[in-house]
Amino acid sequence: MTLPDYFLADLPPQTNFSAEMIFEACRALKRNRDQYLARRSTAAVIKTLSEVAAHWRRPDNAFRKLALHEGPEKCGFSKPTLAKGLDDFFCQLTPENFQSLLKQDIGDAADPAASTRPCRRFWRGPEFLVHITTGNPPNPAWMSIILGLLARSAQFVKCAAGASFLPRLFAHSIYDADPKLGACLEIADWPGGNAPLENVLFAEADCVTATGADETLAAIRNQIPIHTRFLGYGHRVSFAFVARDALSQAVSAAADDVAAWNQLGCLSPHVIYVEEGAGLAPEKFAEHLAAQLEQREADRPRGRVSPAESAAIASRRAIYDVRAAHSPETTRHWCSKNSTAWTVVFEADPRFQLSCLNRFIYVKAVPNLNAALQAADGVRGRVSTVGLAAPEDKMPELAAHLARWGVTRVCPLGQMQNPPLTWRHDGQPAFGALISWTDFES
Amino acid sequence: MNTGLLEFAGRLRGLISNPRAAIGHQQFQDLALALFTLQFHHNPAYRGICEQRCLVPGAVRRWTDVPFVPAAAFKELRLTSLAPGERTAVFHSSGTTAQTPSRHLHCPASLALYESSLWTWFAHNVPISASAGPQSLVLLAPPPSQAPHSSLVHMFETLRRNLAAPPSAFVGLADSLGAWTLDFSAALSALQASSPFLVLGTAFSFVHLLDFLAAKKLRLKLPAGSRVMETGGYKNRSRSLPKAELHALITESLGIPPENIIREYGMCEASSQAYASFGTPFRFPPWARVRVISPETGAGANEGQPGLLQLFDLANVFSVAAIQTEDLAVRRANGFEWIGRAQAAPPRGCSLMSPSSHTPAPRPQ
Repeated sequence: MTLPDYFLADLPPQTNFSAEMIFEACRALKRNRDQYLARRSTAAVIKTLSEVAAHWRRPDNAFRKLALHEGPEKCGFSKPTLAKGLDDFFCQLTPENFQSLLKQDIGDAADPAASTRPCRRFWRGPEFLVHITTGNPPNPAWMSIILGLLARSAQFVKCAAGASFLPRLFAHSIYDADPKLGACLEIADWPGGNAPLENVLFAEADCVTATGADETLAAIRNQIPIHTRFLGYGHRVSFAFVARDALSQAVSAAADDVAAWNQLGCLSPHVIYVEEGAGLAPEKFAEHLAAQLEQREADRPRGRVSPAESAAIASRRAIYDVRAAHSPETTRHWCSKNSTAWTVVFEADPRFQLSCLNRFIYVKAVPNLNAALQAADGVRGRVSTVGLAAPEDKMPELAAHLARWGVTRVCPLGQMQNPPLTWRHDGQPAFGALISWTDFES
Repeated sequence: MNTGLLEFAGRLRGLISNPRAAIGHQQFQDLALALFTLQFHHNPAYRGICEQRCLVPGAVRRWTDVPFVPAAAFKELRLTSLAPGERTAVFHSSGTTAQTPSRHLHCPASLALYESSLWTWFAHNVPISASAGPQSLVLLAPPPSQAPHSSLVHMFETLRRNLAAPPSAFVGLADSLGAWTLDFSAALSALQASSPFLVLGTAFSFVHLLDFLAAKKLRLKLPAGSRVMETGGYKNRSRSLPKAELHALITESLGIPPENIIREYGMCEASSQAYASFGTPFRFPPWARVRVISPETGAGANEGQPGLLQLFDLANVFSVAAIQTEDLAVRRANGFEWIGRAQAAPPRGCSLMSPSSHTPAPRPQ
């Protein structure tokens, strides 16, 4: 399959964009939105998106085939890892889930596409939405596109340099299903910090969303006109907690969370806290997890990583070699042979530790959840997701404890990288944050 | 102090005094294995690592097979053969105050070896302009009294003494937190002399100097024959810019031609340094050898393939000779090309928090 040149990201990589090109693209998007999207009903948008998602899950779908064929080379994920990620993402995009999202974020407010029923509240999305995204893993960029279409916004998605492949394929699949909808989207990538291009985007935008490091977000925020809404999604980390009564069943689910998108998303765990007590010892949990990761490597290999990332894993392993030699009672580690494909480090020290990712996971023993939260105090306020494994009757109490501590999402272990469509990004309504309201006081 | 190690150090100093005398493959192999045996027996922390890997004297036949210790292990273990009472100096790696630095312990004999090693290879790689009259030395670093644990400052002080330059050659300052800055008026006045210069400093100190000159709209033209030696990374102490750009700015602002800009590679955990000049790869002296390994398999990388740099430094007699760095390099015919640091994958998607590195950037203070 050869993709047509619909988007700027379809042009050869050496293409130099000019500010004029970006300006023209913005204007075209706004015109197209006015003509094809602004008055489209919510039901129609949901129908198209649900159908596109269903097609992506079919093995013969041309975009899926292309993603799986070229994705490993372009994004680094192996074909089975990518396929699992695609399935997990697109299975969420059903009409029922879209309705749940709308009900949660806007209640019974009138459809912006000229609803005739009497209503006291009206909502509308930004005319022109700009997303600054990393693009790989693709979920945040895909979600941005989906929510933007639901908000009836023209959208310009600026991906990190060389990371536009999967967002671009998704945009093409929308174009293929409905060219008029696709004409309200633009995908491009260039190295961040290109002020001449980005200033044009920011001047045209009604709302800018951005994901990235705090410094990146601060730099973007400084360039955005004061009246333009800015939604920045910055530093977040995640971890898991496995209660003592759930240890043996949790190993496989923990391996799924470590393997999903090679642990690169902000929802992936850096550390798995394992509660000491009856049953499987935390160190044994780590050993079983290593066996599960070995199995995942056979079923869904990690794929290639850059030399610098590979070297980071090797360097970190070398440190744990030294620690294991001198303190075998407090440090153990298990590693894939002749590769850096997966690593499990067991440490008695419960302090939260950032992983170097790409399937490198810490397992730490704690007496209870309270101790885990004390150990994670250094990242308090920056924790996105906690994957929880515990007996069903204990889950509500543990979730409430985590909520009081400030975690914004608690989910079953094994589902950390699969948030539902209704997920409130960093604790804020993802769709609701995009829209503005008109209150009608009669 | 162990006489075997002292004898080895004495023998090595004899070899170092003549850098042109080649140390052949077999001679290096013999020296490396002899030193490995000594360090195994007299360095308890290193011995523990060797025993855990089942790599002990007698079981190892080549220097490439001895256990290489990650440089970061110098932060956690006392990797030394020196008894507590014999330790007279310690060099720390640079880094933020929140990070535990590497600690390389020294005694008079190890310092003498360090000084002998650094001077011999420096003089071999940085031509001293004898014909052009007296050489002016400018050191963009604080004096030893302000940075007593910096191996780089110790190196600069050794060079200063050997070049008979005055203590005022140091034009840097260390603040109360240990961060380095420059005394810009002292630097400017030192750079106004008429004889050729040797200007030595870290990359971030050069950035400080160049930014100062740019802000003052000053452009200097140092006398013909002047040279610059820069080392290390930026360590968040200045803006970062690619080395080619830094060198271009040095040429533009100081009038030093590219062929007179020399790069140095070193670390506080080692006692020898590598040098690279215009268009040539980094080379260590004959008493230190490097290997580039595949981070995936640990086996030697092919020429041209990026991998982790391992250093076997015979001059590290009283600590550990076999060090695995966190530097990515590519093996070139007679040396290596430095291409970056091992870098943990930033969590992508909606998080880009960078995990902290285990070791400092290539050049220590």
